[in-house]
Amino acid sequence: MINIDALLKKVQKPARYVGGELNSYAKDVSRTDIRYGFCFPDTYDVGLCHLGMKILYEVLNLRDDTFCERFFAPWTDMEQEMRAANVPLFSLETHTPAAEFDFLGFTLQYEMSYTNILNMLDLGGVPIFAKDRGEDAPFVNAGGPCAYNPEPLAEFFDFFTFGEGEEVINELMDEYAAWKKRGGKRIEYLRAISKIEGIYVPSFYDVEYNEDFTLRSMAPRLPEAGYPIPKRIIADLDNVVYPKKFIVPYSDIIHDRVSLEVFRGCIRGCRFCQAGMIYRPVREKSPETLVADAKAIIDATGYEEIGLLSLSTSDYTRLEQLTDGLLEFTEGEHIGLSLPSLRVDNFSLDLLNRVQKVRKSGLTFAPEAGTQRMRDVINKNVTEEDLLHSATLAFQNGYNTIKLYFMIGLPYETNEDIEGIAHLAQAVVSAYYAAVPKGARRGVQVNISVSSFVPKPFTPFQWARQNTPSELRKKQQLLKNTIRSKQIKYSYHESDVSVLEGVFARGDRRLCAVLYEAWRRGCKLDSWSETFRMDKWLEAFSACGIDMEFYTRERGADERFPWEICSVGVSREFLARENEKARNGETTPNCREKCSACGAAALCEGGKCCV
Amino acid sequence: MFDYTVRYEKSGRAIYVSHLDFVRAFNRAMRRAHVPVAFSEGFNPHPKLSFAMALPIFYQSACELLEVEMTYAVSPDEVLCALNAVLPEGIRILSVQSGKSRMKELRYARYEAIPENMPKNVDTFLQMSEILIDKKTKSGVRETDIRADINSVVLRDDRIEMVLSSGSAANLKPDVVIAAMNRYIDGFSSGECSYTRVAFLDSALEEI
Repeated sequence: MINIDALLKKVQKPARYVGGELNSYAKDVSRTDIRYGFCFPDTYDVGLCHLGMKILYEVLNLRDDTFCERFFAPWTDMEQEMRAANVPLFSLETHTPAAEFDFLGFTLQYEMSYTNILNMLDLGGVPIFAKDRGEDAPFVNAGGPCAYNPEPLAEFFDFFTFGEGEEVINELMDEYAAWKKRGGKRIEYLRAISKIEGIYVPSFYDVEYNEDFTLRSMAPRLPEAGYPIPKRIIADLDNVVYPKKFIVPYSDIIHDRVSLEVFRGCIRGCRFCQAGMIYRPVREKSPETLVADAKAIIDATGYEEIGLLSLSTSDYTRLEQLTDGLLEFTEGEHIGLSLPSLRVDNFSLDLLNRVQKVRKSGLTFAPEAGTQRMRDVINKNVTEEDLLHSATLAFQNGYNTIKLYFMIGLPYETNEDIEGIAHLAQAVVSAYYAAVPKGARRGVQVNISVSSFVPKPFTPFQWARQNTPSELRKKQQLLKNTIRSKQIKYSYHESDVSVLEGVFARGDRRLCAVLYEAWRRGCKLDSWSETFRMDKWLEAFSACGIDMEFYTRERGADERFPWEICSVGVSREFLARENEKARNGETTPNCREKCSACGAAALCEGGKCCV
Repeated sequence: MFDYTVRYEKSGRAIYVSHLDFVRAFNRAMRRAHVPVAFSEGFNPHPKLSFAMALPIFYQSACELLEVEMTYAVSPDEVLCALNAVLPEGIRILSVQSGKSRMKELRYARYEAIPENMPKNVDTFLQMSEILIDKKTKSGVRETDIRADINSVVLRDDRIEMVLSSGSAANLKPDVVIAAMNRYIDGFSSGECSYTRVAFLDSALEEI
């Protein structure tokens, strides 16, 4: 155990490094055979609320033979103190150095966390490249949404997991226990687990490129290594481990509340949205399970807020039953309910009135695009009429701030679509004046938050060209100049970050070198504006002789993609059909209206999912 | 309404928890323990708690004091057991009594500081008519005299015991006194120092 007391007095927010929070596990390390380090590649404040970590922490610690502990990236001040005092990256539970673990499992939530992985391995004294790890080194592995394209990280990881982890993590641990008993070599464990569905060992594949650097082939070198590798899903969410004893942090973190996962998957099929494709098919939990879980978690944590978690709360088929069940015990106990991504109609406004008894702060809508044509292109099935109707209802119910989310840089976008964002916001402002009589007006504010579109693997837009930073800046400027009203507030994201995200999202194995060079030049904590250094990134690309535009270009119709090592259920043919419909501005009905044969139903028992 | 006085200690990993974070942790512990705490009215209801004096981060304490209002009468012993069963490591309830405390009479607090090196004596230090320190304020650094807020400083074996002004009228933290000793006592260098609040005192130096 490392003594960190002397370091803690020199850093900001020391409570995030001490561990021992309520409900964290404390096990006798001399009696556990497997030590698993769950690593979140960003700071504690950002990572602790991550639900996947809570679930796998529970699944692993329910095993008698395993002790799962947590690692986070230290902030710069702590890292400096650690390096100066030769203190390696240590676990929160027992302050054990990372290199002493059997596994280090990273969750890949966003591309801009990748340099933190390299930094954490280095700080933990673990060789950064998988090929350099000796027999005693931990198995470094990863899962999570960005693992669906693992190739830009392939050289750093011993293996990846595709899909939902609750079952496969137990299979990995069982295999480890058996392998340990046999006394095998490192490579023998990797060969054994590559037979497990959903496990990808990148060192077992030879990757070849065409002359233009597009992918020619990914050939397995061993009979155990499959191609493609199907993702894992949990068939029955009512009968899978869900943690009750959420860790309650000492210090202030984001989303510090009960997260109640309502369902996985999405019926909507927005063409830009990766989550809506990779988490298919839709699987719901029952209201009975959810209400019982919520009660148990409140009892174990004392939290003052419950947040429902899904891609689209309104699409939960038994929402009324669920919220009634929750309100029955939260009302009177001073427990709040947070209902994100709710479609606004009469039912939900009644609900919001019950939940947020007091301050009517703001409501958020995500029309995503400014014109109907563009919304049809992205298959966001919201009309201007819907939005104005919802806004009018909200205004009549006492709300006076509305936030609207939009994207720019979408495929097939014209200047008219950009200007449409300002016009739509203006129409919402006008709806306020129409809905609220003169004497009752308290002033209206419409906040428009505009992000830059990043094409993602396994979406209909995986072929699309991403806008360059200068194109994005022009569009941002055009929008700014189109806004006339003082009631509209406009904010937008940095275009440099979006482009880097896009490069790594659709990247290949050649990017491992760039990532390493960027980290070596000091890039880390890239999702924080105070630590992000685009100049260092540009240096890294140029040192490796790699052109970012290769990754942001429009992809060929028949081009092979590095991420097709994984099979997510949704077929390439479906994605291509959707892309074609996007080009023609045709919409696709949601999964409950009509099955579009995306392919994900094959993952369900009997090949039947939504309809 | 039903008032209770809660005394607790803070040590170990909990010394890294700031006062605001502690308040939130305590509120959650009360919900876990099913303690019927009363909430304020208004737009943003919050549990009715009042603390004698916030404890600075990195300090241990053996004497923390808070008052809490309940919606109905409860057994103090049951509250004590229920809270201790659900509190995180490093926070322990010492006693629960019904009724309010004398926290409004708070004038002084007694602290113990354990430095790496002890001063030989503090006589000349305490004989100074003014002890000026640099105090950081919003408008910049300002020299402030802390002599009047030092009631006593006594050396005991490996520790320095101090009685200092505490409360809303005047408040002096022992790390400020140690910094002043480093500055004004010739040849003294305390090194790293740990701090414990030992008691809250009234104007007659009686424990509250």
